[in-house]
Amino acid sequence: MMTGQQYRASLLDGRRNYLDGERIEDPSKHPLFQHAVDWVASTYDRFYSPEPDAYHPMFMIPRTPDDLRARSEALRQSDITAGTTAACMALITAAPELGELRPEYKTRIYDYVDLCRSQDMRCSEVITDAKGHRKRRPTQQDDPDFYVRIVERRRDGIVINGCKMHITGAALVHEQVVLPTKRMRRGEEDYAVACAVPTGAEGLSIINTTNAPRNPDGRNHPVSSRRNLPDGFVVFDHVFVPNERVFLAGEVSHSAILAHALGVWERSAGVAGAANAADLLAGQAALLAEMTGQLDDAEIKQKLAKIAIYATMCRAGWAAAMATATTTADGTAVPNSRYVSATKHYTMDLHGQMVDMVQDIAGRLIVGCPSFADFDNPELAPQLAEAFAAEGDYTPEQVLRVFHYLHDTTADLFGGWISVTEQLAGAGAYAQRLVTLRNYDLEDAKTRAKRALGILDGAMAGEPQ
Amino acid sequence: MNAAGYRSSLEDGRRVFLDGQRVLHLAEDPLLRVGVDWVARSYDAAADAKSALGLPRTPDELRAFGELLLRSDTTLASTAGCLALEALLPELRAAHADPARAIESFLKRCREGDLRATVARDVFAHDLRVVERRSDGIVVRGSKLAVAGAALVHELLVLPAGRAGEASLAFTVPVAAPGIRLVCASTAPRENDTRHYPLARRFSVPESVVLFEDVFVPKERILLDGEDDALAARFREAVGVWERARSAAQLADRADLLMGLAQTVTEMNGVPEEANIVEKLSAIAVYATMCRAGWEAAISHARTGAAGVCLPDEAFVYATLHHATHLYHEMVAYLHDAAGGLVITCPSVADYEHPEVGGYVEKYVRTMDGVSGNDRMRVFHLIRDLTADAYGGWLKVSTQSVAGGMHAQRLAAHAYYDLDRARARVREVAELGH
Repeated sequence: MMTGQQYRASLLDGRRNYLDGERIEDPSKHPLFQHAVDWVASTYDRFYSPEPDAYHPMFMIPRTPDDLRARSEALRQSDITAGTTAACMALITAAPELGELRPEYKTRIYDYVDLCRSQDMRCSEVITDAKGHRKRRPTQQDDPDFYVRIVERRRDGIVINGCKMHITGAALVHEQVVLPTKRMRRGEEDYAVACAVPTGAEGLSIINTTNAPRNPDGRNHPVSSRRNLPDGFVVFDHVFVPNERVFLAGEVSHSAILAHALGVWERSAGVAGAANAADLLAGQAALLAEMTGQLDDAEIKQKLAKIAIYATMCRAGWAAAMATATTTADGTAVPNSRYVSATKHYTMDLHGQMVDMVQDIAGRLIVGCPSFADFDNPELAPQLAEAFAAEGDYTPEQVLRVFHYLHDTTADLFGGWISVTEQLAGAGAYAQRLVTLRNYDLEDAKTRAKRALGILDGAMAGEPQ
Repeated sequence: MNAAGYRSSLEDGRRVFLDGQRVLHLAEDPLLRVGVDWVARSYDAAADAKSALGLPRTPDELRAFGELLLRSDTTLASTAGCLALEALLPELRAAHADPARAIESFLKRCREGDLRATVARDVFAHDLRVVERRSDGIVVRGSKLAVAGAALVHELLVLPAGRAGEASLAFTVPVAAPGIRLVCASTAPRENDTRHYPLARRFSVPESVVLFEDVFVPKERILLDGEDDALAARFREAVGVWERARSAAQLADRADLLMGLAQTVTEMNGVPEEANIVEKLSAIAVYATMCRAGWEAAISHARTGAAGVCLPDEAFVYATLHHATHLYHEMVAYLHDAAGGLVITCPSVADYEHPEVGGYVEKYVRTMDGVSGNDRMRVFHLIRDLTADAYGGWLKVSTQSVAGGMHAQRLAAHAYYDLDRARARVREVAELGH
C-alpha cells in the first residue's frame, strides 16, 4: 500500500491540471489544491499497512450485507476519491455480462481491478459527456466529439476523443475510468467505449473548479478548508488506450450496463453520506437551540422533530438497502436499487426544507458572523466574547464554530456544491423515480389490491392483506 | 450627495474591521469597496432622478418607489425604513414629546444631509444596556448583530430586539461615534479575477456586528430609555416596512430571473419541451407568477398611513415573503436539476482565455449552432453566483430572515389577514345571522 507521502509523489506524473487559467504543476503545493491532497493523503496514512497483500477495504468485493456495512464504514472514514474508486465496483458488477459478450473483457476487468488494488490506486468515475444538443444522438451532433468516442482502432488499442464533465477528484486520482454515459444504438459503435486511462496520459487535460475556500483562514470554513476536492472537465484529445485497458469497444448492446452498475454504487455512496449528514444537521440545530436558550420553544421543537424524522428515514432507507442487498452472478453483493433510489429521492426532496429550518433557527447571523481573526484581535475580543455569550456551558468560540459550520455547509460555495452534487450525483430526481418504479414490485402490489377488492379468485373483499 | 461626496463622507473615523484587521479606507478595501461602489452608484442614480427619500403618496408613486428600491442598494430601503417613523409623529407629539423630538431631528438630519441610515436591532443573547446616566445623556454598552450595510451608512437607528424581559432602549447614533466598532463579513469574491461572479462583484453589501463600548448618546438622540415596550414594538414594525417591501419586490424579481435562467439553460441544452423539463419549468412559472401577484396585490391594495405616505398592504407583503422564501429552495433545486452539474463545474473566464485549454472550453460548453460556449458559460456563472455560492447563500438567508424569519412571516401574514371579513363570510354562508 502507499503512504500519504508516496501518494503525494505519485501525483508528479506529468498530468496537465488547470485552474483559473493556470497550469498546476504540483497539486500538493497549490493553495487551492493542497488541502484536497492532504485529505487524500490522510486516508492513505489511516489505512496504510506494510503487509504485502494488504489493501484498502474499498477494494474488498462485498459478498454479504455485513460486507457492505463494513465497506460503507470504511468509506465514511475516507476521502471522496475512495468513494469514486467505486468505478472499480461498477466494472466488477458488470463483469459477468461483459464476460458473456467477450471473455477477454471480464479477464481485463479483473486484471485491472487487481492492478488498482495492488498498486493502491485511486480512480475517478468518468461518465458524463458534454452532450451538446440533448435531443440529438451522438452521431447527429454538429461536433462528433460531444460524446467520447473511438477515433482510431489499432491492433494494440484504441484512440479516443471527447470530454467528460463534472468529474469529482479527477485531478487527484491515478486512473480515469471512462464509461459510456448512456445506451448507444446501432451506428453509434464508436461511442460504446469503456476503458481506463492513467491521469498523466498523453493528450489528457483536466480543467478544474474547486470548492476550496479562497479565504486563507481555514477556521472560517471548518469543513471545506479540509475536505474539498476539485471537479474537472476531463478532456481526451487523441488519447491512446492499450487493449488491456479497454473493457468495451463498439458493442452497443452492452453500452448501458456499466452506467447502470456505476449508478447503484454512486447513489449508494450518496445515500450513505446523506444519512450521516442528516444526523449532523439535526445535531447542529439542537446545539444552536440549546446555545440560544430556545430548546423549550414550541416552534423550535416542531422543527427539531421534523429534522429528526428526516434523519431517521434517511438512515432507514440506507439500512434497508443494505439489508436487502442483491447478488450478481459472480457473487458480488450490491445495495438494493429500489431502496437506494427511493432514499436518494426522499433526501433530495426534503434536504432544502431541512436546511431552511436550521437557517430559520440560526437567523441572519449565519451570513454575518465575525471571523475567527476578529476574535484574535485584542481590540475586539472582549466585546465579541460578550456579544456571543451563550446559554449553558458553551463558550463564545464554540458559538462561533456552529455559525461558521452552518455558513460553510449551507450558505457558501461548499454548501452550494453539496446541494448540487447531492441532487445530481447518480442522476437527478426524475431518474430516481424511474429507477424506483422499475424496481418496485408493482405486480405484487396489484395482487394485494385485487385481493382487497375481492376480484382475485377465492378472495373476499376486505380480507386482511 | 453625489457618489464622490458619499465616498468622502465615509472618511469620518469610523472603526471598521474585516478579518481581524482595521479597514481605514473602505473605498480602497478590495472586499468592502464593492458595497461602497454600489451605494455610490445609487447616490448618483438618485441624484439624477431627484427621487431619493421622497416617500410615495399615491399608488403610482408607490409602484415607482418599489422600482427605485429594487434598483438601488439595500441601504436606500433601510434609510426609507427609518424615515417611515414619520408616520408615527402626529400621535407621538401628543403623548411622547421627547421621542417625537428625537425622531424629528433624526429625520431632518438624514434628509438635509442626504444621509443613509440603517436599523440595528438583533442580538444573540444579551441586549445593549445603559452603563451610565448623565444629565446630558446616557452611556451604552453591548452589541447588535447582523446589521446589513452598517459599515456603509452614516447613522444607526438602534432599537430593542423585542425579547422578553428586555429593557426598551432606542436611540440614534452616528456610525463614527467614539466607542462604536463594526465587525464585518462580506460576500464580495476574494479572487483577483472576479469576472465569473456577475452579481457578487457588484452587489455585495457587508453584514456587521456593531459593538458599543461605552458609547455616549446625548439626550436629544434618545427615543426610549426603558419606558415603553409597546412603543418599541411599534417602532420595530414601522421601520421594517420598506425592507419588507423591497424584499417582496426583490423576490418577485428574482423569481422572474430563476424562470428566465431555467428557460434559457434548457433552450441552450435543446430540451425545453422534454416532459420532465416542462414539469420543472411550469412549477417555476407558477411560483414566479404567484410571487409577482403577491407584490402587485400589495401595491394595488396600498393604504395611506398617518403622514400621508402610501404603504403596500402588509397582509400581501408578508404572505408574499413567506410564499417566496418557503418554496425558494425547491425552485432552486428545479433550476439546478434542469441546468445540471455545470452550475458548479463550469470553468472560469480565465480558463476560457487560456491558450492551451480555452479552445476545449468553447468546444465542449457550446451545444449547437447559435449557442456559443462563451454565452453558456456566462449563464452558468450567473446561476452559480445567484444560487450556489457565497452571494447566493447570503441572498437566500438574508431574505428568509426578513421580519424575523419564515415562521414569523407566516404568523404576521395571519395577523394582518382581514379576519373580520373572513368571519363575516362564514356567518353569511353558514347563515348564522348577526
